[in-house]
Amino acid sequence: MQSEEEDEDEERESDILSDDGEVDDFPEIDAASDSDEESEEEEDDTDDLDEEDTLEEDSDADSDLHIFPKSKVVVSDITGQKKTVYPEIEPDYDSDSSTEEDPSRTGNIPMHWYDDLPHIGYDINGKRVLRPAKGDELDKFLATVDDPTSWTTAFDKNTQMDKPLSAEELDIIRRLQAGENPDAEYDPYEPTIEWFTGKGKEEVMPISSAPEPKRRWLPSKWEKQKIMKIVRAIRQGRIVGSKPTAADKKHQFYAIWNEPPSNQPPPLPAPKPKLPTNSESYNPPEEYLPTEEERKQWENTEPEDRERDYLPQKYSALRLVPAFDKFIKQRFNRQLDLYLAPRIQRIKLNVDPNSLLPKLPSPGSLRPFPNYKSLKFTHTKARVRCLSISPDGAWVASGDESGVISLWEVNVGREVKRWTLGSKVGAIEWCPRLDVCFFVAGTEEKLHFLMPPNLSPTVLTMTQSTLAPATLPPATQSSIKWISSSGAVEEGPILVIELPGASGLPRQLTWHRKGDYLASVSSSETQGGVWMHQISRRHSQAPFTKIKGAVQMVLFHPTKPHFFVATQRYVRLYNLAEQKLLKTLMPGIQWISSMDIHPSGDHVIVGGYDRKLCWFDLELSEKPYKVLRYHTRAIRSLHFHPTYPLFASSSDDGSIQIFHARVYSDLMTDPLIVPLKILRGHDVKDGLGVLQVKWVNKQPWLVSSGADGNALVWCS
Amino acid sequence: MASTSSSTVPSHPVVFTTKTPYVLPSQKFMIPLDWKRYQLSQLINKALDLPKPVPFDFIVHGEILRTTLWEWRAEKGVGEEDTLEIEYFESVMPPQRMSDIPHEDWVSSVSCRIPQHFVTASYDGHLRLFDYSQNPVIDTFVHQAPITSVCVVPSPSSDAESRILASSSHDFTACLTHIYMSLEGPSASTVASLHLHTSPLSCVSSDTSGSHLLTSSWDGLIGVWDTSIPDEHQVTLERGDDRKKRRKTAPVNIKRKAPIAVLKSHTARVSKALFATGLHAKGKAYSCGFDSTVRTWDVESGVCVNTVNVPERPMLDLAQTPDGNVLLAASTDRTVSIFDLRISNSSLSSSTGFMMHPATPSCIATSEGGKQQVVTGAYDGVARLWDLRSTKGAVTNFRVWDGMKVLGVDWAGDVVSIGGEGGVEVWRITGGS
Repeated sequence: MQSEEEDEDEERESDILSDDGEVDDFPEIDAASDSDEESEEEEDDTDDLDEEDTLEEDSDADSDLHIFPKSKVVVSDITGQKKTVYPEIEPDYDSDSSTEEDPSRTGNIPMHWYDDLPHIGYDINGKRVLRPAKGDELDKFLATVDDPTSWTTAFDKNTQMDKPLSAEELDIIRRLQAGENPDAEYDPYEPTIEWFTGKGKEEVMPISSAPEPKRRWLPSKWEKQKIMKIVRAIRQGRIVGSKPTAADKKHQFYAIWNEPPSNQPPPLPAPKPKLPTNSESYNPPEEYLPTEEERKQWENTEPEDRERDYLPQKYSALRLVPAFDKFIKQRFNRQLDLYLAPRIQRIKLNVDPNSLLPKLPSPGSLRPFPNYKSLKFTHTKARVRCLSISPDGAWVASGDESGVISLWEVNVGREVKRWTLGSKVGAIEWCPRLDVCFFVAGTEEKLHFLMPPNLSPTVLTMTQSTLAPATLPPATQSSIKWISSSGAVEEGPILVIELPGASGLPRQLTWHRKGDYLASVSSSETQGGVWMHQISRRHSQAPFTKIKGAVQMVLFHPTKPHFFVATQRYVRLYNLAEQKLLKTLMPGIQWISSMDIHPSGDHVIVGGYDRKLCWFDLELSEKPYKVLRYHTRAIRSLHFHPTYPLFASSSDDGSIQIFHARVYSDLMTDPLIVPLKILRGHDVKDGLGVLQVKWVNKQPWLVSSGADGNALVWCS
Repeated sequence: MASTSSSTVPSHPVVFTTKTPYVLPSQKFMIPLDWKRYQLSQLINKALDLPKPVPFDFIVHGEILRTTLWEWRAEKGVGEEDTLEIEYFESVMPPQRMSDIPHEDWVSSVSCRIPQHFVTASYDGHLRLFDYSQNPVIDTFVHQAPITSVCVVPSPSSDAESRILASSSHDFTACLTHIYMSLEGPSASTVASLHLHTSPLSCVSSDTSGSHLLTSSWDGLIGVWDTSIPDEHQVTLERGDDRKKRRKTAPVNIKRKAPIAVLKSHTARVSKALFATGLHAKGKAYSCGFDSTVRTWDVESGVCVNTVNVPERPMLDLAQTPDGNVLLAASTDRTVSIFDLRISNSSLSSSTGFMMHPATPSCIATSEGGKQQVVTGAYDGVARLWDLRSTKGAVTNFRVWDGMKVLGVDWAGDVVSIGGEGGVEVWRITGGS
């Protein structure tokens, strides 16, 4: 630094030496630097002056004529009072400080004339002014190290020593370096002075009095010549205009329908921004403001889990709303959205779970069906195992386990006749014929044919001739005896069929639709226990010599010569005429308990002890069309209504369930099964509930018998 | 009473009318709207200064007032300024159980049309006559099979001593039994049997003059009979061993009668057939059955004039009010349908109201003398008293037997006799108009 500065100084000196004309610059700096030094002194002096001010004020007031220098009124830093400050007044008459400051009075001469001399000039008294001692380079360096202001000093050749530069001088240097105007006072943007614009300043008179030239308004002949030359060239074909390009032509008319439409979907429109809600307002109503708990909860939840990403805040005025603090974050997320997240239309699966349920008609629209217990008939002694309803729908025969069969009216429930057979009644079935009137009751190894009282004479004679004809048909070879009782017909059975010994209790009886054949299923395991009895021939036979599994139930097909046999697991369908197996239904039930066939003959329901109820469509498959598991205990009995689209199932849980089962003649339409009603009225006794249900012909009424010894009539 | 009402409750102008002897002067009353029947009844008692308080019921616009006036007005939307005309009548007093006549078997039908006596028909085939002090007067074995209904044929010759009872039975016949209550001692003899039906009979009924009978049966036929006793058998019995035997046991003097007409239209069991009463009743009969129809018959020509089909509502009983205005039919879906005959004089169209029962209603009895009350019996052993002007709920119900069925009711004067599983009970109902 030191050496560089030195170099600079030397250069300047050399410049000064070479260029005499510019030597004058430095005395200006000189004077400014002096004044700068003095200004520091001034600050010191001001304190002293403060006291003197008051004295001088008085004197100023006296000398009004002495205008210059003018006083300034300033506020004192110390007292805080206003005070008048005067510029310093030079004490002598000639206040030219420049001459006075310089001790040497050599005048404006090149200073190198004194280079070889020990002095640098002469003072006002003619005495030599000695050259100040100049240290060597080391001293200079040390001085720069010691003095922090040394880099702002410059060599003054008048005094032949370094002088510090004042702030103004430094500012000028800085301006020159920055290429600015060195004058600090210079204002490049000072207002223009309008001389000729504005009201009253317009220049009315033309600047020149010359008339307006013709070229201002006449078309140019020369230009015309030039243009005509081009025109002539175009006419003669020397100049040919550029033809419109094919691309241009194509773009002129664009047949939008010529091209097949693209398969791509149109670009998705950007989703509409959500409209701001009330709570997003800067001044939301009070009710939108979160309570302290809500605020805490909001703060404690993860930002991902928050229901909304802001807290409503209230400001009384819009200008009080602070800057949006999450602006950067939001922009960042937006960028992420735009370039990371592909914009796809997400189809929200908003499925109402209820709509997935099958559409079932309401039970109210499927009336009539039994829905209340109309009356109760009680067997006092034992559980009512079986019942049957006369084909005209007027009488019920119910048999209990103590061997009592009661005949009672469906409507009134009055018992009109009672038979005591002595042993447990396993099954009862009315003959479906309308011209005769009797029913069959199965007890241990016997089938009893019983006639109700009060029959009309025609029916009575018909029944008698059917069951106990005067001339017996020729006896057939069979182990089963048919015994007609001629005597007291009204008291006991008119006909008894004695099943072979050890065949056990007939579990089920079923009539063929024409009322001539009766099938009985005995509970014994030997021979399958199935017997077919023909009333007109008084003949019984076992249709199956060997059968797999224990037969649970048998059924006649209502229209065809088919015969259903339900074993423990399977339901087999035999053709009786051709004597062959047609079909095996596999309900998947562990132990079949009951079975019934729809009056149309195309549908079979099978119930099991494992609570399942299977609906088979015989046209469709060997597997069930539908499996219903609505009972909580074993299913005991099933019955289709002969005319109404209803079926009922009874169970050991003491309930009867009524289903609407509409079967369509159209083969394409599936049967409609609607659960309608659960009837509860039977008590569960010894784990047994409702043992048999039967529908009343022609009316939507149901009769049920239960282990609690009651037979109930359910009416619509 | 009026002064005690609080001033905050607004009042309504009301004019009281009545057909009872308790007549108020016709003037406008301002009745507080929160008043109910009790306060109104007290008002009338106070106003008339009755020595013994008589409870009244009130009919506004043809309906019995059961709520406060305010609620009634809100329900009907009646303006505040309209003057209401309220008719009042003596309330039906809670029925009192008078006596109990036990029977060995169920009683299917009961009649109190013989003054001071009850006739009961039992399932054991006996017709019994009791007087009001429960003494059995006559006990006659008429039918081999259960008797389903009995009716007293009004005798034209106001002869108090001899009466004809008609009874229908499960043995496919109806019988006419002549009873004498002479001083020497009462006696009864079956004089004729009516042979037509091939199924058990459900009911027998006679017209008001006692000249004709109607029988209905499970085979869907209705027989029209006259009540004259023929000299000769009109029907020969079918051959049958059983029948021959029975004829030997039966007395010979029972004349077999044939019907004078058969009404054939029902497709199922006919549960009740009766002659029309009232103004336009000449030659008309009504019947109902299990085919859910109520049919109107022209008995003279034997033609079904009108059929009302009430879907899926098998009818069990039918009754007509004595003035002939209203037909009531009990059905197995626990309702009693009301058919208003005043709407269309000639023909019925559809039911105009229902009386809902908690159990199967089995029988209906109407009261005499233009009263608007009916009694129904149901299978839950409860007889209910209804007012036809307000069918929302029963006026009172009286529990006759617990869990035993009521099978027949009859109402004459203030006596209601109820027959059923537990025999016969007699109740007294007073009041009503």
